[in-house]
Amino acid sequence: MPPHLCQLCHTSRAQILRPKNHARLCAPCFISTFEIEIASTITTSHLFHPGERIAIGASGGKDSTVLASVLQTLNERHGWGLDLVLLSIDEGITGYRDHSLEAVKRNSAELGLPLSIVSYEELYGWSMDQVVAQVGRGGKGNCTYCGVFRRQALDRGAAGLGVRHVVTGHNADDVAETVVMNLLRGDLPRLGRGTSVVTSMPSAVGMGTGKEWEGKGRVGEVACTSVKRSKPLMWAYEKEIVLYAHHKKLDYFSTECIYSPEAFRGSARTLIKNLERIRPESIMDVVRSGIDMAKLVPNAEGGPGSGKPEAVQRDAGEDAEGGCGGSNGEDAGGEMAQMERKLQQDEQAEEDGTETEIKIPTKAVNGQRHDRDTQTSATAAALTSNVNGQDHDRHTHPPSNTTTTVPIRTKQEKKSNRKATRDTPPPKQRLGQCERCGYLSSQAVCKACMLLEGLNKARPRTGIEVGGAGG
Amino acid sequence: MPGRRQPPAAVDTTLCRRCQANAPTITVRTEPLCSACFAKYVSTKIIKRMESFRVRHAEAGKERLLLLPLSLGPCSMVLLHILSQHLSVQAEKSGRTGYRLLALFIDDGAREGSAALFERVKERYPMHTYFNLPLSDALSLEGVPELLSPLNQATPPNNPPSTTTDPLSTLLSTLPSATSRADLLHILLRKLVVHAAQHHACEAVLWADSTTRLAERTLAETAKGRGFTLPSSIGDGEAPHGLPFYYPMRDLLRKEIISFTSLVEPGLDEMILRDVPKAAVSTKNTTIDDLMKQYFASVEREFPSIVANVVRTTGKLKVPALREEVEEHCELCDAPLRGHAPERSRLCYGCIRILRQAPAG
Ligand SMILES: [Zn+2]
Ligand SMILES: [Zn+2]
Ligand SMILES: [Zn+2]
Ligand SMILES: [Zn+2]
Repeated sequence: MPPHLCQLCHTSRAQILRPKNHARLCAPCFISTFEIEIASTITTSHLFHPGERIAIGASGGKDSTVLASVLQTLNERHGWGLDLVLLSIDEGITGYRDHSLEAVKRNSAELGLPLSIVSYEELYGWSMDQVVAQVGRGGKGNCTYCGVFRRQALDRGAAGLGVRHVVTGHNADDVAETVVMNLLRGDLPRLGRGTSVVTSMPSAVGMGTGKEWEGKGRVGEVACTSVKRSKPLMWAYEKEIVLYAHHKKLDYFSTECIYSPEAFRGSARTLIKNLERIRPESIMDVVRSGIDMAKLVPNAEGGPGSGKPEAVQRDAGEDAEGGCGGSNGEDAGGEMAQMERKLQQDEQAEEDGTETEIKIPTKAVNGQRHDRDTQTSATAAALTSNVNGQDHDRHTHPPSNTTTTVPIRTKQEKKSNRKATRDTPPPKQRLGQCERCGYLSSQAVCKACMLLEGLNKARPRTGIEVGGAGG
Repeated sequence: MPGRRQPPAAVDTTLCRRCQANAPTITVRTEPLCSACFAKYVSTKIIKRMESFRVRHAEAGKERLLLLPLSLGPCSMVLLHILSQHLSVQAEKSGRTGYRLLALFIDDGAREGSAALFERVKERYPMHTYFNLPLSDALSLEGVPELLSPLNQATPPNNPPSTTTDPLSTLLSTLPSATSRADLLHILLRKLVVHAAQHHACEAVLWADSTTRLAERTLAETAKGRGFTLPSSIGDGEAPHGLPFYYPMRDLLRKEIISFTSLVEPGLDEMILRDVPKAAVSTKNTTIDDLMKQYFASVEREFPSIVANVVRTTGKLKVPALREEVEEHCELCDAPLRGHAPERSRLCYGCIRILRQAPAG
């Protein structure tokens, strides 16, 4: 078979089969097509305004390295006049971040973009290595700490640079993964936000004006209103990002984070990879579904009928999205098991509460069973009465026609109390400021401060460095 | 166990959690249950979902007719079994029933012994009306031939369609992937069910999908770009195809339903058509639905409540408001086209993907 010719220029030999649409392209045509598509995401979503100062969240990995390179290229090509800077977070992960930061520094020099680094250690008094030594690799996902901390670190870093807009390297695979993960976790609010190209904090709320953390290090005196986040690569396949980096000979650090990802993310990631193998287009289709479903989330911020992209409010944890790429989860399942237990409790409460509402089936089934079962009718009666007893306690249903005998109280009664808790409406998300650090938060104390409180409580007073991954 | 708090009314953990009389035979979610309590659990979950078809909701002498498509798999057989019981109890108690079942078996010609099995089912549950249709009937439903004719033209001219070969398999052979074939088969089956239900003046269709199946469908439809159709296609009482669909098994896991089949006396096992195990599973003939089935089979083992939660979450999404008169619908799957299809297309993106994988351009 003769070699395929590039579908665009019809002259060079095709080197690349695009997973996104099966197009066969030569390398130069692929590179320009890739850039055109990113430019199109940027212009159709009106992501930037001319002369805007933009911080590129740079991790040294392939996504943000490609993002920085493409933005620099497009900015020059189209004369957008953007003022680009690199912003890196040093989580303090030996063997991973220290090396990747070297890659960021080389990129900064190569592209001629200024680099600013914000470290967890400096900001929170805890590096991720210390956090993991403290909480162990199991238990609460390491990525939870990392994600919550990263979000604030990025915002504070941006504020320090006087930047109102941070772009991140989240790609189509990451976004698809997030859609699946939010479905698995049953997280409707995030399902409503995870696919928007821009997320933003509501404006006119100050930040960093309150007391800073009690730990070491303060960033302090930072005040800014609204930091916008966007994902210009959200339609770019991970595979194509790797291809782009390869053909442009970009310098990036490819090792995955050594700490375990959230179990749900790990699970979703595997599923997306398998889906891609079956039908490569499905990554785009998942993203498309996610965008469509976001419009169906009740009270979604990115409500229906909006042709224009909207800046959708985000919350903590979202920066964990694709933030660390590890799939070496040692505690994989821990988070899922935790959620499973919670759901089971809810189900049990529900069971205790609602089973009583169905009189006919209860009786019908009992009635039917009598002729077949060896079970004594006394047992059946006890069951029935138990059910009725509960019913009177909490519901105002008219007495049913079921045989009522003396109510027998069992543990089912006790459990039913849980239902009351379940029925109280979830607290309304109202954004205020964290009373400790001044960061935007829907709770009195923000998530980062909550996590820090737990860490600081457990930290040995002597401040001895704990070596190795304990616990 | 030292240090562990005992509940005030001590529960004997060696006995069934619910009746405290029999030895447990199965653990449901976290509760050890005896066979009798488990059977009750299964039927309660199903009958609870049949609330709107209680006797009091039917006018005397005017039973409501419901279509029950039978795949003869474990789920549809258990549904048939429980509803048969439900109807006898209704009749016993009030002298009449709230509904009647019209059971439909659609033969895709792929599974041997299905005709004989269908006869046995009829004998065992004689109180219902039964009929069967070949799946290829869907090809002659209104609008379908025109829609699929471009595919038929794709076959080589020296291999004229029909007469010798089955038109359905000829059609399927032109599709780009196993996923496309499975999707088209599913859409055709649904079309035929809806058509039959309307033809026989049924009020609604009862599907035997378990929680597990609905969770699989949630992720599969999401992966096929059809996420926006989910709330209307898996919600109870929604009618995206012209008449309401109900899912009475939506609160049961597949593994629970399968356990139930061997509890029934006489066993349902010999009434069930087993899936032909797929030879040599390769990526090439794995479908998106297969992948989701494998995935949720493992999630169901360890985290059954997470499976159920996926379905509950999807159920909380709003059903998109349709302006019936103005809205154009996909001619293959009935999905609203606005925003979900290229300009002037008669098919939605999802259906375009079935017919040819990569979008043009
Ligand atoms: Zn070319
Ligand atoms: Zn705080
Ligand atoms: Zn029992
Ligand atoms: Zn369609």
